[in-house]
Amino acid sequence: MIDSKQNDSQQTGIGNERSTQIVVFKLGQEEYGLHIDQIKEVVITPNITRMPQTSSFMRGVANIRGNVIAILDLENKFGLECSNDHAVSENNFTLVIESDEYKMGILVRDVPNTLSISSASIENAVFTGDNQAGQSYITGIVKLEKRLIIMIDIFKVINDQDVQLFKKQNGLAA
Amino acid sequence: MSIQKEKEYREIFLAEALENYTEINRLLTALEKSVGDLKVVQALFRLTHTLKGNATGMGYEKIAEMAHVMEDFFGEVRDGRIVLGTDIFTSVFKSADVLGQLIDSIKTQKDVKYRGIKTKLEVLIKAAKQGYSLSQPNGQSQSKSELVKVDPSEENEMDADSGESVVVSFSDLVQVPVKKLDDLLDLVGELVIERDRIIANNMRSHSTNEFSRLNRISSDLQYSVMDVRLVQVGFLFNKFHRIVRDASTKESKHVMLKLEGSETEIDRNILQVISDSLIHLIRNAIGHGIERPEQRKQNGKPEEGTVTLSASSESDTVIIKIKDDGVGIDPQRIKNKAIERGLISLQDAALMTNRDLTMLIFEPGFSTIDEVTAISGRGVGMDVVKKAIDSVGGTVAVDSMIGEGTIFTLTLPSSMAVKSTLLFELGSQTYAIPLSYTESVISIFKSDIHKTGNELITIYLNKTIHIVFLSDLFDPSYDKKAGKYKSFDKLQSKAKLEVVVVSFGGNRIGFIVDKLLQQKEIVEKPLKKPFDSISFLSGVTILGNGNVCLALSIPGVLNALFNSQVNRTINA
Repeated sequence: MIDSKQNDSQQTGIGNERSTQIVVFKLGQEEYGLHIDQIKEVVITPNITRMPQTSSFMRGVANIRGNVIAILDLENKFGLECSNDHAVSENNFTLVIESDEYKMGILVRDVPNTLSISSASIENAVFTGDNQAGQSYITGIVKLEKRLIIMIDIFKVINDQDVQLFKKQNGLAA
Repeated sequence: MSIQKEKEYREIFLAEALENYTEINRLLTALEKSVGDLKVVQALFRLTHTLKGNATGMGYEKIAEMAHVMEDFFGEVRDGRIVLGTDIFTSVFKSADVLGQLIDSIKTQKDVKYRGIKTKLEVLIKAAKQGYSLSQPNGQSQSKSELVKVDPSEENEMDADSGESVVVSFSDLVQVPVKKLDDLLDLVGELVIERDRIIANNMRSHSTNEFSRLNRISSDLQYSVMDVRLVQVGFLFNKFHRIVRDASTKESKHVMLKLEGSETEIDRNILQVISDSLIHLIRNAIGHGIERPEQRKQNGKPEEGTVTLSASSESDTVIIKIKDDGVGIDPQRIKNKAIERGLISLQDAALMTNRDLTMLIFEPGFSTIDEVTAISGRGVGMDVVKKAIDSVGGTVAVDSMIGEGTIFTLTLPSSMAVKSTLLFELGSQTYAIPLSYTESVISIFKSDIHKTGNELITIYLNKTIHIVFLSDLFDPSYDKKAGKYKSFDKLQSKAKLEVVVVSFGGNRIGFIVDKLLQQKEIVEKPLKKPFDSISFLSGVTILGNGNVCLALSIPGVLNALFNSQVNRTINA
């Protein structure tokens, strides 16, 4: 993660014309973005098995091509659920994310689209109101005409969760 | 040890030794390129040390002697007393070659001359110890050969030998990274899942005979792969001689290690997970259990204490016992300590049996020794031991007699790969419960369940069983106080309930499930991040219909239930 950030700043230093590809998906009414190289594939959401002892945004696990993968509901995590449109709120697609450490899926409603943007249009310094660790997964904001895309570091979202779970368990044991 | 076993050990020693030898050569070459790289020297030191240990264990004295000298030599290099120059490298390489020949000679039975080069190294070490700087910067030291008293004929012979022996030696064993075995097992697991799926789909259209061959072959394959992963516990046990020696020396106690049942086989991964726990238990036995020689004499025991490490297999479990003939565990001391540490309340302590009290040593932050000794830790160990054993689905029990000694009994599954489980349905999801913890499956009516002191219990065959609604436990909004009765009160008065009765660590609990399915052997996949900290589950598997099935961890669930019970009594 640190590497990619450094690369970004280097790229902006060298020339503003370097473009990156991002995958944009809708959560609630907002648009969120991930770097394309973090995403392995998009599949139709399979049957999800709920897991005990996890927070509600961890929807459970699913079998994707023989791999058991954690499925996250970021709308729930970010508090973006809109309760009024029940019919559409089926999370039909799953973005499969892969790193050396993690493999997981993110629920999205529509097929996400890819977008080519110049690195310069990512605003890295974002003032989030408080410097709590919970906010640090936002890596930047992309402004395109009337659109605003929030770039996130998905692995930081999970690490944040790890800490929470750990605290919860300690609370139980204490 | 049977001849068969001895042969097997020899094969394994050879494979390991050859690997060590190859690595030594590689490192030496690397060292020659970057003289003074202490990391490499340290690695060489460690390698020769390991080789020495293994060779001693197998009784190959020549190899042990040679490795010993090399170990000393690298020790001196590491400490900066020997500066490596070109001519010294020649000697070191030669000694490595001789080492290789010695290893080879186990198979070929050839006589290898090794004293010459060994003496040469010894002289270098001796000189270094006396403070000579042995190497001129340009590497032209001429006086060394005079220092070395070598029988010239022997050295010549050796040279001739090394000339012809640039033969690459092959071992009959193939070393396979565990990762590859894990992958293979994963694949076999998927095959079995796929087989189940196909059979489930064609149940109606074909006779069952159609698939019997597929069934048999895939089962055989599965068991063969599992068998490959089995190793003898002796591998681990034999490494404990050194640990016992070191620990007893540090504590100035006399301890003998006795090994029994070293040939018992267990899954390699389980052995790996519990190895630290075993080390800890053995160190504890020496640190806390065995008394000092003078004290033992006073108590009429032999001065030398005995720690016995034994293994045996029983159907699909392996039982490892660590037994010492030391002071034993005093339940009263444990009680006092636990009260002092706030682990239990005074009232609770009065009600606890000696056995329960003894089990308190596994609580986090518990230690009875007031001062921290060199080897036995600071009370951070026993709970970790228990966690490690729980994590592989095993159990640990303690038996102790004051003045007589202590026995720790670990009951472990012999293979992590396949688990016999009972499948059941709960909230339209399928779960698996390991049969090893399942006592019985009963079916009762709502009227058979009684509310007693915030708990639900039932009596079945004269046994009191705590009843827990699994759905409550898994509900994130589960409130410990109100929750126990919630699902119960919702039931119709004539409702019939399916109960799976499990027992673990002396607690017996009946779980209410929605529907019982079949008994099935599952291939369990461990929980990966971010779910690896879920204590209620031990893993997952994929069912024939493609859905994910969760495997319950009975120790995890019962510990959580039991702990929350203890908490409640403390808080009340």
